[in-house]
Amino acid sequence: MGEVRALIAAMRLIDVPWTSVIRAITLGTLALGSAVGLGAASAWLIARASQMPPVLSLSMVVVTVRALGISRGLMRYLERLASHQVALKSMGALRTALYERLATGPTGVVSTLRRGDVLARIGADVDHVGDVVVRAIIPAAVSASVSLLSIVAMMLLLPEGGLWLALGLAIAGILGPWLTALGARRAETDSAAARGEVTARSLDLVDHASEMIVTGNVAAAIKSLRTADQRWKDSTQAGARALAAGAAAGTLGLAVAVLGALLAGIPAVTSGRLGEVTLAVVVLTPLAAFESTLVLPAAAIQLHRSGAAALRLSDLLERTGVSPTTDRAAQRATDRAAQRDADRAAQRAEILHHQRNDDHAQSISAASQDREAVIELIDLKVGWSPDTPAAEIGSLRLSRGTSAVIVGPSGSGKTTLLATIAGLIDPIAGTVHTSGPALLTTEDAHVFQTTVLENLRVARGDVDADEARAALNLAGLTPWLTSLPNGLDTMVGADASTISGGERRRLLIARSLVARQPILLIDEPAEHLDRASADALVKDLLSLPARTAGSDHPVEAVVIASHHLGAIDFADQVIRVTAAISQ
Amino acid sequence: MKPLDPKLLRTAAPARRYVLLTAALGVITAALVIAQCLLIAHALAPVVDRTADLGDVTHLIGWLAVVLFARVVVSWCQERFGQRAGVEIVADLRAKVVDRAVRLGPRWLDRGHRTDVVTLATRGLDDLQPYLTRYLPQLLLAVTVTPGALMVVLGLDWVAAVIIAGTLPLIPLFMWLVGLVTQEATERRQRAMSRLGSQVLDLVAGIPTLRALRREHGPTQRVRDLSNAYRRSTMGTLRIAFLSGMVLELLTTLSVAIVAVAVGLRLVHGGLDLTTGLAVIMLAPEVYLPVRQIGTQFHASADGIAASAKAFEILETIPEDAAAARRISDNQPSGGRGNRAGRSRHSENSGPRSQVPPLMPSPDLTSATIVLDKVSVAVPGTARYAPHELSVRIEPGTVTVLAGANGAGKSTAVNAILGIISPTAGQIAVCPSETDAPPVDLADIDMATWQSQIAWLPQRPWMRPGTIAENVGFDPDELDPARAEEAAALTGLDEVLTSRQGWNTSIGTGGTGLSVGQRQRVALTRLLLTDKPLVIVDEPTAHLDEGLAEVVVATLTQLRDQGRTVIAITHRDDVTPLADTVVEVCDG
Repeated sequence: MGEVRALIAAMRLIDVPWTSVIRAITLGTLALGSAVGLGAASAWLIARASQMPPVLSLSMVVVTVRALGISRGLMRYLERLASHQVALKSMGALRTALYERLATGPTGVVSTLRRGDVLARIGADVDHVGDVVVRAIIPAAVSASVSLLSIVAMMLLLPEGGLWLALGLAIAGILGPWLTALGARRAETDSAAARGEVTARSLDLVDHASEMIVTGNVAAAIKSLRTADQRWKDSTQAGARALAAGAAAGTLGLAVAVLGALLAGIPAVTSGRLGEVTLAVVVLTPLAAFESTLVLPAAAIQLHRSGAAALRLSDLLERTGVSPTTDRAAQRATDRAAQRDADRAAQRAEILHHQRNDDHAQSISAASQDREAVIELIDLKVGWSPDTPAAEIGSLRLSRGTSAVIVGPSGSGKTTLLATIAGLIDPIAGTVHTSGPALLTTEDAHVFQTTVLENLRVARGDVDADEARAALNLAGLTPWLTSLPNGLDTMVGADASTISGGERRRLLIARSLVARQPILLIDEPAEHLDRASADALVKDLLSLPARTAGSDHPVEAVVIASHHLGAIDFADQVIRVTAAISQ
Repeated sequence: MKPLDPKLLRTAAPARRYVLLTAALGVITAALVIAQCLLIAHALAPVVDRTADLGDVTHLIGWLAVVLFARVVVSWCQERFGQRAGVEIVADLRAKVVDRAVRLGPRWLDRGHRTDVVTLATRGLDDLQPYLTRYLPQLLLAVTVTPGALMVVLGLDWVAAVIIAGTLPLIPLFMWLVGLVTQEATERRQRAMSRLGSQVLDLVAGIPTLRALRREHGPTQRVRDLSNAYRRSTMGTLRIAFLSGMVLELLTTLSVAIVAVAVGLRLVHGGLDLTTGLAVIMLAPEVYLPVRQIGTQFHASADGIAASAKAFEILETIPEDAAAARRISDNQPSGGRGNRAGRSRHSENSGPRSQVPPLMPSPDLTSATIVLDKVSVAVPGTARYAPHELSVRIEPGTVTVLAGANGAGKSTAVNAILGIISPTAGQIAVCPSETDAPPVDLADIDMATWQSQIAWLPQRPWMRPGTIAENVGFDPDELDPARAEEAAALTGLDEVLTSRQGWNTSIGTGGTGLSVGQRQRVALTRLLLTDKPLVIVDEPTAHLDEGLAEVVVATLTQLRDQGRTVIAITHRDDVTPLADTVVEVCDG
């Protein structure tokens, strides 16, 4: 069973504090044991009292009954505290381990996690794995130990009664939870496809609400959502039957134990093997003992849920490189392939368009030949991995203090080239030389949910306010900064409305500036911006080497990738990427 | 937070059936539990008194077996129907919420509600299932088994009944008192929890960025510190929060113990017989069990209650403009176009229906002129308008380009023309070609007759699950295949058709199976093949490479040549040469 193995692996990652777990189990056993003990002691008290012995002879058991009545709540309280302590520790350790693994793992994995819902899923998975201790392991262990103790005690009183109790507890405590877990898993796997369809239809409706309204399709689409929901319901039924059988098993176990105790106990009393007072204990104790199995179905479901979560997490941790196994990666691959076909036609037009600029670029490149090369590409061929299409780049020199634009249709390999220059991926063929570290800023780089200043400090921890202002100024953000209510201490982030698309892009530029890297590589800075904003931003970016020349940390070269053709007018050099070719 | 929201019963028909069934099963369970305790007591007591052996009580044990078997069947039924009803109720609410959300329209969705609706529809409502299958049955057992068993105890031994009746009300009282103390702490803990979660996830989301900056190792310690700080503060609040659980356990268990001692001491003095004593001490825990189970199931149900509360909030949202109000009243059975009405029956939500004036059919758009007169739409939550006082005359057969910066309100203006939203100020009038016919306010036009004359290409066109032919509206029986091929050649869809399974290439829900560019080509072909007189195209070249942009220009040229009225949104220059009119959309 993959789930259990994944859970064990997650437990190793967590480094579960087992002594605390055992303490919690012991406390839990005392709590639940008190309940069973109370049932047994009450039965003895009532049966013995009916024989009208001297009241004093009952005082011991009266005290015991009262004490058990109190100890249960108290022990349960202590157990809950102990088990939550364990759970919180585990979750903290798991979060830390997960972050560390993701941060140091291959680049491809994390870039697939950026979407909000995927991230939220990871967060929920961590919580589910942490819950396994409190909601599955500890309750199951407590139930097992109380059941065993009850069976042993019963065996000592009346061996046949003990066997009946063991059988009943096995039905309620093993068969029942097993059926429940089976049902939950069945319902989930059987309905996965139908579930996906329901989700897709809901998303479709909400995402395309306007178009549904205009085309008069709302009612029909809702109807097909209901149809999909009906299929979902049908597909859960097999699982639901197992769940129902699981619930019935809980009651069946009780029935077996009670009837068994009566049928075994009464003849034993008649034959004198069993005292009549003890018979009350033998019959009534099972009623209390079955309280320990009440939590087990829920524990079984939790075990399954945590197992599934652990499986997803371990999947995530094991994934390497750009994995073609995930749906989304596969989807992107088809998108890219389809895009390429579509782009062929576009290129014919583009080549014509570029002829003029090419001459221009080459003349500049010749004029600056004597200056020191900051980036040198020799017979370069790039691609995300050896088995995906590669783009032919060729050779190129970029001198100190200059800027370049990479142009080409979508999917042709502009981003791949930037990532190769930045050293994030290896060239398929040829070599890349850079004079110093190169920093790649992508259009979708993350703005953290913290202050403007802290967002800059992400790049370098000791950035002070003056440096921050200088970098923001270079990025053209001084007017924005002065408009902010709290200046550098204003919160920004994913859902903050204080920042527009263009400002966000400029904030990312400011962050790469404070990183003090000599070579800046920027991917699609003009994406989704209107023409005026795009031109202004690109112009500012390409002039960075000129504007920072002579400062302490000059930008030696800027390379931007863009399919926005206006950009080439401001660049010293143009690198043209033709469509990626399949190998 | 109500344990059982009457709205749930009003809104979801399956919920009504389920609650009735569960209540019935609750009554049966109560009877069976009482019978079980009495039968055991009657079978056991004479044997303990040594006045009977197995043969004397066999019939009682037989009846007990029947009762226990019936309990097995009841618990099977409860779970079986609970699971089914859970799925049905969730599905019903999901359809209603999505329906309402879509009809409330894009403006309401865009104001941050889209995520809520999606979360609710895809995951949130599922939390109702544990509430329905676990919590609700216990709730109903608490109003059947608890009083039922208590009444029987009263009949058997009033002293025990008084002890139980005295402690029973203490449970909700103490829970409430402790709840008062812990509520704030619990909320604080939940806030801290979600803050911790989002901070860590924010760091994970930023890993590629941190790594590009070569700073990915710094935050590990931060993640650890955050978790530790959270654990310490949480344990502090849990110490208080778990008090309510302890009070519950203490009260219920101690009461059972007190009843046992009281019964025992009266047995010694001969005030009670053994049968009664045994029955009472078996019944006492059964009185408390449902109440205790409610306590333990409460956490599992809290999410479900929250999710249903959110769903009702959406279902009760009052439409913010006339267009949305009309869409919602259309969905009521008596609200006009009954053929489009769903199965919804909550007529009290129809609100503005009574104020909607009688509608008239739309003028023919092949010849009518559309006049926007100082149309403004308020930006929610601000004092801004986007667009602000937009005026334009759209003559039939012309190409109008709406230009303007990001956020100026171009798409909003198009939504107003489409009739999806109503302008905050100003008017959209439709002037029929006959010179003597008066202009008609768009607000007075039956939207079905208006929208059926418009072909619209939004930024992310919708692909209906099916074939490409269905998506472009190509039916070989009705349309000359040559025309379809011609259109496909113009938009570049022909390459897709050749490389795939032609017109029968299937498209999944959400357009899966096609790339973004391919979807655009399908949508452009759809525009060419419709006969709709008015074509509205939003941002035709956004997100596209320059190659597809040329296709868009060619398509728009073709549409103009076909004599259609075209409204195009763009902030790029390549479409502008086609335009008869270019309007700058401004906000303000």
